[in-house]
Amino acid sequence: MTWYLTRRVGQALAVIIGVMILTFILLHMEPGNVARAVLGLKATPARVAIFDDTYGLNKPLYAQFLLYMKQLLQGNLGISYQLQQPVSGLIAQRLPRDALLLGLSTLLALIVGVPTGIYQATHHNQLVDDVTAGTWFTLYSAPDFLEAFLLIALLCVQFHVFQPNFPGGITSVGGVLADWRALVLPVFVLSINSVANFSQYARSTAIQVLASDYIRVARAKGLPRRLVLTRHVLRNSLLPVITLLGLSLPGIVAGAVIAESVFNFPGMGLLFWQSALSHDFPVMLGATLIIGIATVIGNLMADIAYGIMDPRIRHVRN
Amino acid sequence: MRKTRRMAAAAAIVSLATLAAACGSVGAKVGGGGSAVSGKKTRGGVVTIAEVGASPNFIFPYAPSTNSDGYNVNLTMGLWPSLVYSGDGGKSIVNPQESLFSSLTYSHHDSVITMVLKPWKWSDGTAITSRDFTFTYNLLKVNYKNWIDYTQGLFPTDVTKVLTPNAHTVVLDLNRSYNPAFYTDDVLSTIVLLPQHAWDKTSLTGKVGNFDETTAGAKAVYTFLQKQGGDMGTFDSNPLWKVVYGPWKLGTFNSSGYYSWLPNKNYSGPDKPVISEAIWTPFTTDTAEMNTLRSNTSIDLGTLPLNDVHQVGALNSEGYTVADLPTAGVAEIVPNLYNPTNGPMLRQLYIRQVLEYLINRPQIVSKVYAGYADPGNGPVSVLYGKQWDSPLEKAGGPYPYSPAKAIALLKAHGWKVVPGGVSTCAHAGTGTGDCGTGVSAGQPLRFQLLYTSGITSFDQQNAAIQSSEEAAGVKIVLKAEPFNTIVATTATCNASSHPASTCAWQLQDYGYNPYFLDPSGAGLFNTDGYGNYGGYSSPEENRLIDATEYGSSTSAFFAYENYTAQQLPVLWLPDASFLYVYKKNLAGITPWDPFSGTLNPEVWYYTKPGS
Amino acid sequence: MSGTDPVTRVVTANPGPAPGGEVTPRSGGGSLSLAEVLHNRRVISGAALVVLITLFCFAGPLVYHTNQVLVNLNIINEPPGPGHPLGTDQYGIDVLGRLMAGGQSSLELAFAVGIASTVLGALYGAMSGVIGGFGDAILMRIIDTLLAVPTFILLIIVASMYTLSLEAIILILTLLSWPSVARLVRGQVLSLRTREFSQAAEGMGATRRWILIRHMVPNTLGICIVTATFGLADAIYALSALSFLGIGPPPPFTDWGTMLTNGVDNLFNGYWWQVYPPLIALVLVVLAFRQIGDALNDIVSGGQSGAIFQRKRRRFGWVPMSTRYE
Repeated sequence: MTWYLTRRVGQALAVIIGVMILTFILLHMEPGNVARAVLGLKATPARVAIFDDTYGLNKPLYAQFLLYMKQLLQGNLGISYQLQQPVSGLIAQRLPRDALLLGLSTLLALIVGVPTGIYQATHHNQLVDDVTAGTWFTLYSAPDFLEAFLLIALLCVQFHVFQPNFPGGITSVGGVLADWRALVLPVFVLSINSVANFSQYARSTAIQVLASDYIRVARAKGLPRRLVLTRHVLRNSLLPVITLLGLSLPGIVAGAVIAESVFNFPGMGLLFWQSALSHDFPVMLGATLIIGIATVIGNLMADIAYGIMDPRIRHVRN
Repeated sequence: MRKTRRMAAAAAIVSLATLAAACGSVGAKVGGGGSAVSGKKTRGGVVTIAEVGASPNFIFPYAPSTNSDGYNVNLTMGLWPSLVYSGDGGKSIVNPQESLFSSLTYSHHDSVITMVLKPWKWSDGTAITSRDFTFTYNLLKVNYKNWIDYTQGLFPTDVTKVLTPNAHTVVLDLNRSYNPAFYTDDVLSTIVLLPQHAWDKTSLTGKVGNFDETTAGAKAVYTFLQKQGGDMGTFDSNPLWKVVYGPWKLGTFNSSGYYSWLPNKNYSGPDKPVISEAIWTPFTTDTAEMNTLRSNTSIDLGTLPLNDVHQVGALNSEGYTVADLPTAGVAEIVPNLYNPTNGPMLRQLYIRQVLEYLINRPQIVSKVYAGYADPGNGPVSVLYGKQWDSPLEKAGGPYPYSPAKAIALLKAHGWKVVPGGVSTCAHAGTGTGDCGTGVSAGQPLRFQLLYTSGITSFDQQNAAIQSSEEAAGVKIVLKAEPFNTIVATTATCNASSHPASTCAWQLQDYGYNPYFLDPSGAGLFNTDGYGNYGGYSSPEENRLIDATEYGSSTSAFFAYENYTAQQLPVLWLPDASFLYVYKKNLAGITPWDPFSGTLNPEVWYYTKPGS
Repeated sequence: MSGTDPVTRVVTANPGPAPGGEVTPRSGGGSLSLAEVLHNRRVISGAALVVLITLFCFAGPLVYHTNQVLVNLNIINEPPGPGHPLGTDQYGIDVLGRLMAGGQSSLELAFAVGIASTVLGALYGAMSGVIGGFGDAILMRIIDTLLAVPTFILLIIVASMYTLSLEAIILILTLLSWPSVARLVRGQVLSLRTREFSQAAEGMGATRRWILIRHMVPNTLGICIVTATFGLADAIYALSALSFLGIGPPPPFTDWGTMLTNGVDNLFNGYWWQVYPPLIALVLVVLAFRQIGDALNDIVSGGQSGAIFQRKRRRFGWVPMSTRYE
């Protein structure tokens, strides 16, 4: 196991460096002059020159990259061009909030989705299966901003049950939790898509599992239905769900742009999006770094989880 | 997203902070029911203001060249107002009571300014003196290249000498004569005084000295102040920022953009704050703000996206008033006169006239902007600053919507007109009746219009323009891009420089150009002006602009205005007003001062029903 | 896990036809005969709906002529009424006609991206799972890299360098969606390889390609169909997100997603006819496709799953299934 982990960590580092290089190149491929994008209408040649000087943008690409890596190793992620604050500070502020919001919604999706999917599988081809699947796919197909609007229009504007968004000025996770009622709608909206995903994938796998022989044998042996479901079916249906969870980790740190705009929740998604628009390189690189790390960790954990769920996977001959 | 206008608006409202406003008609309320707020004036109360999009990140009033955040002035304006305060009630003039000077005299052919400062005090009790002015001037003189709001050729580089005969008088020798109105309104209004007795040091714990009097010292002080000025975590605790002379001082500030102003008890000016606190609370987008406005009453003052103008009724019933604030600026489509393919065509005045004749501006104003927009008759908005409106503009400008005239013009210049299709040049050449220099035979009348994406009204407006231009066979191809992308990929293209990489654009609509109190065309329509992106160049235009800058007469201004309206250096477009939503019992908000529009809470107060 | 259950091993080691006529399809490629497909009620109903919608979108405009290009500011945002059965949008363009025009783009986009990305991803993932070891590691690390690169920048770069056409968007969206499919399929394949049937196949010397095509692909069909169904919805949604963020194709291009984005802006104003028609159309397509996919999956897998828990009337009366294998 440790040998496996060491190998994977080594590969992870290689991937992250690869991603950084790729992102660096992509960023500099963005058409247009960075200084002009940031300074907007105030860009004059003199100011552009000062800007380029301050941020080393007139050096050759590889030199900029090496400088960035050097600073990175010292723990310095640079200063945001647009927001004029240290990138590490920005991320440290927003990431925990996003993790809370998206973590909660993923958890909710898991708790609701997987049992629903298995339930559907046991009632495959019956009305309840089609109705449930229809509901989830309908909810999934409707864009999240539409669902958010409809919910807000109904629950906040029409009936003042919830407040439509977070009050401005919240900085810490503690602050978010203190106003937990504001979390209800965003968590709900964000979890819809994941519930649909988890449940339908679990259902699909569960259908296959339920058709296999060992389940028949287990039932034949007289094992109660509930135990069959939880001990055998659940475990074996979790495989795609685990993959999805691994794939959702980068999503948790990347934030959700649309939910953040609608619910006044300044998080990584909006930060990322605005920095992409305004050519804010340090922020983009910092965010990419975080997302890269989350991606490799997510997929690594999924791979390890496969091995735990099904020890035979570890020993498959190659 | 709407932030384009927000930023641009902020930039206008902001950096030139003292631009002024509206005229009488601007106080008109939207959605009916707009009478003056009645009731008894009460003291105290907290006003919560919605702040949408970006937020301030710098508190020292002179930001470095790398910081273009237009919202910083929102933060500092109440603490350190400009030397020259623009806007008096609803009138677009300099406000003598709020300004820091008691008299401002121009002499020696308008090249020497004698300024007498009022006997006001800083918040810590020290008197404001001319030493503070020289402190500010010294810092800027050495560091002007690193000041984001420095305008080439103007303060401080246009000052040859500064004298301080006594503690309250400052004499400035300028390098040439300037139009006093222009100089006062547009240049002196960008200056904010800094407290020499508290800020003339190079470290937090160091002692205050006269460091600004040497070049090295001035650099050191400026660098120190800038470093402190960007440290958001200490804005509300740093002793430096507690020395103010405006009606307000900073209450709390947190880096998410949430901050508040508290009354400065030692304010020497006339309008001492009545309310007890002004709070700005950030919203990520105007959608989020709109949702809050509709759901509860936590916002006391906010903006209404134009798209939601039909919500006025609902907002009224929730206890809000809605009022419109005309924008002080001009909206335009900028033609690139040096585009490789279409430059020669666009350089022909008649082509620009054709394009302008085909824009149905009144229809756009009434359908897209629900009537809340300046009609776009020329370089000056007719909705504010009535003293600047020439009769020509008031009458609708030289190019009212007329497809017939457009078609006639094209035919008269040798074009084969194909309404609904693409017109082509039938008679190439330079004689009368020919298409003009550089236009080849068969060249199609096709242009690409690049515009800022993410704003519904822009999409509607430009789609409408695309359709209406077809009446004479002008084919407009639309391309929408985010604002920053447009700014980053396009550059100024003029006769001397038009590199292919940044001059591929043909027509551009990025938003609007904000004006100063004095809406001169300097920088926008003169050759090589910083805002002259399309390369328009005319000696007559330059002469007329100079006449407004260096001379002072209304007829000179009207001459410039009419000539420019007629010459179409850019295509004139309607310019949308801002809609503000505020609590019915919050008084003092109107009449507007569109340059300090929502940044003068010292004149607001809550009313209680009753007499 | 049941892998160590001697009973199971005994049963599945002889994958011959079990008494009662049921062949467990897990042991080999499923059969998919055209006849079966064409006679399945659910496939027919799903396909009929899809065909209907496609006809509506592509043939509709031939019958119902509307202007879809010129903006008419005088009739913007009108509710359904004479001349405009579904009202007009913010450009003054008839919504019903726009629904048809938009449907052409959306259907093309959805099916192309949904199917292409699933096929690409499935092949890649299956290959990776079958190769295993070092090859698998490299292929998966490439996936990691692709997943981590910020797609925003890519989108903005491409959107600003070129005016996005439908084809370009299809290409980009496919490229952005296939990595996750690959991961899903690979996971499934890894688990399948542990099954006895595949180890048996490997033991018998089957080539990787044979295993891949004959065993892995059919058995991952379930996952692939679910993925493709989600992929349809995702593609349409992606375009609406692009316009929400301001980098979608400019007018007069339209599709259901863009209609939704523009319509949602007007939700507070009460212009329901701009929101619900495209939404309903979109949902119907996704549901119809899901119906077809689910039915296909059943056909391939023999369709008896879950039967163990179902109490259906059978030929021999009310008998729990489990007793059939005593």
